[in-house]
Amino acid sequence: MTRTLVFPALFFGALALLPLMTDDSYVRHIAIIALLYAVVVSGWNITLGFGGVFNFAHLALFAIAAYATGILTKTYDWPSWTGIPVGIGASVIAALVVCLPVLRLRGIYVILVTFGFGQLCFQFVLNQRELTGGNFGFVRIPPLKLFDYSFRSDGGIGYYYVALLLLLITVVLIHRFVHSPFGWRVMALRENEPYAVARGIALARVRLSTFAFSAIFPGAAGAVYAQYVRSASPDMFGFSFLTIALSMLLLGGVGTIWGPIVGALVFSVFSELMTPLGPGRYLVTAVVIVAILRFFPKGLSGIPEAWQTWRKRAHAGRDVAPQP
Amino acid sequence: MDFADGALSAFRAVFASGLVLSSLYVMIAAGLALVWSTLGIFNFAHGAIMVIGAYVAWTVSIDLGLGQVAGLVAALAASALIGVAVNRLLVQPFLAQPNIILITVMTTLSGAFFLENSALLIWGPRIKQLEKIVDGNVFLAGTAISGHEAVIIVVAPLMMLALWAFLRFSWTGKAIRAVAQNREFAELSGIRPERMYAIAFAISAALAGFAGVMLGAIRFITPTLGADPLIKAMIVVILGGLGSIPGTILGAYLVGFGEAVSTYFLGAYWTQAMMFFVFILILVIRPNGLMGRE
Repeated sequence: MTRTLVFPALFFGALALLPLMTDDSYVRHIAIIALLYAVVVSGWNITLGFGGVFNFAHLALFAIAAYATGILTKTYDWPSWTGIPVGIGASVIAALVVCLPVLRLRGIYVILVTFGFGQLCFQFVLNQRELTGGNFGFVRIPPLKLFDYSFRSDGGIGYYYVALLLLLITVVLIHRFVHSPFGWRVMALRENEPYAVARGIALARVRLSTFAFSAIFPGAAGAVYAQYVRSASPDMFGFSFLTIALSMLLLGGVGTIWGPIVGALVFSVFSELMTPLGPGRYLVTAVVIVAILRFFPKGLSGIPEAWQTWRKRAHAGRDVAPQP
Repeated sequence: MDFADGALSAFRAVFASGLVLSSLYVMIAAGLALVWSTLGIFNFAHGAIMVIGAYVAWTVSIDLGLGQVAGLVAALAASALIGVAVNRLLVQPFLAQPNIILITVMTTLSGAFFLENSALLIWGPRIKQLEKIVDGNVFLAGTAISGHEAVIIVVAPLMMLALWAFLRFSWTGKAIRAVAQNREFAELSGIRPERMYAIAFAISAALAGFAGVMLGAIRFITPTLGADPLIKAMIVVILGGLGSIPGTILGAYLVGFGEAVSTYFLGAYWTQAMMFFVFILILVIRPNGLMGRE
């Protein structure tokens, strides 16, 4: 138990101390976005990785949460602290709606229907210009404020810790999920659906709960994102956003707790390092996705395992070598 | 009297625009359906291939000034080549894996991302447009449409006929269908599946390239021009029942006319939302399409 806590403690300790090391606003901005991405991608991992459901509506949930937060706190003057609950609520409701058709479908049809849902939301956002700002996005969302402390002050340090706290909660929740009977049911359905159903797992109920649970994370992150960058744009429903989140998930490793988090952070750093390449960096991104799928299907989380087999092989080689 | 006149002119306008839209969708969706029925995968790079076709035609016919025929030929060759590359790099290496559908969605999405951004790097963000194949206007059911659109309306069904005849009667077409039905048995009969996959992909991509050249003269060419037609083609293919060519043709004309009618009465914005709603509804009620069988 103590040993398993060493890595998480070091990880979050280092991230908590990061603002002490640098107060460069650019670094902080990248860090906040990367942490929010880590939360979103971890949530996606619940349906796609642990659940094995080809859910392509996940990023739409993030966008829906951002819009819901923006509209309610700006147009309807709700206090800014309601942003996160509003985001989570909107995201969970949307996820349940998407899940209903998914219950009846499998394979490519799940991808198409979830993808179609995202496009439907996108068209709705363009359509309802008075409500959502249409093409131009929904701008000037009020920033997060608690007891007269605006999170914009002090170089956005408040947002950094909010995002870090979200990530910590994410890790704890997903860890508990993986080791809970609910989590076992979800994974049993992924491994062998007919057998799991035959053993008495209620497919519809488990799947709906899976979607609702996974929607909490893009909901919270979408709300904080909207309050941090102070806008929500229709691009959030688009292909490129989806592709970036997907590459983070694949890079880290699907179906592991830490994979998506490490994937999101590593990818964000690399993506910033590649900024001078302009659109060229997207070419690199695309090649990286395909290369991972082709050669390292487990992503970064497969490295320890690969390292161990390599060491074993090296050991075995030494033992065998002296024999004539 | 006035009402009747109004209704008639509305009908004419809807009919003409519906026919143009349908014809474009049929060309794009047929390629998608061909790949689906042969390999059982959904090619998300199809729209991006279409865009590259349009850009190549622009470079050859306008930038280099070699004329429209050279532009069209270059576009077809380039898109077919990209189709073969997509198949070789993004599809074939993964065919043996159990979750091939999800993997190829991811790889072809990356392919689309790659092609779109390559187009941005090569041709820049400034919008371009191809010249129309024929000048002047044609009267169709009392409405003036451009000669170019008339060509699209005429060529699309002919291409579908040619595709159908190719798949039905030629040896290669039969071999492609054989591989789609039973790969092992086809192999035993001396058909090389990899080659058939490559041919199916090349034809599919060339169809996309052709559609790109046609579309590039009536809309502006941008790196993301392909996204919207790709999504429409997806709706068409689902509506028609994945993979069947007659179903796809029916689906394309239904979607095209549906879009035209709905745009006339509900406006462009509601139409798009409406289409996705219908799309989801069809997926839930009849996932095998209107003409599909269990």
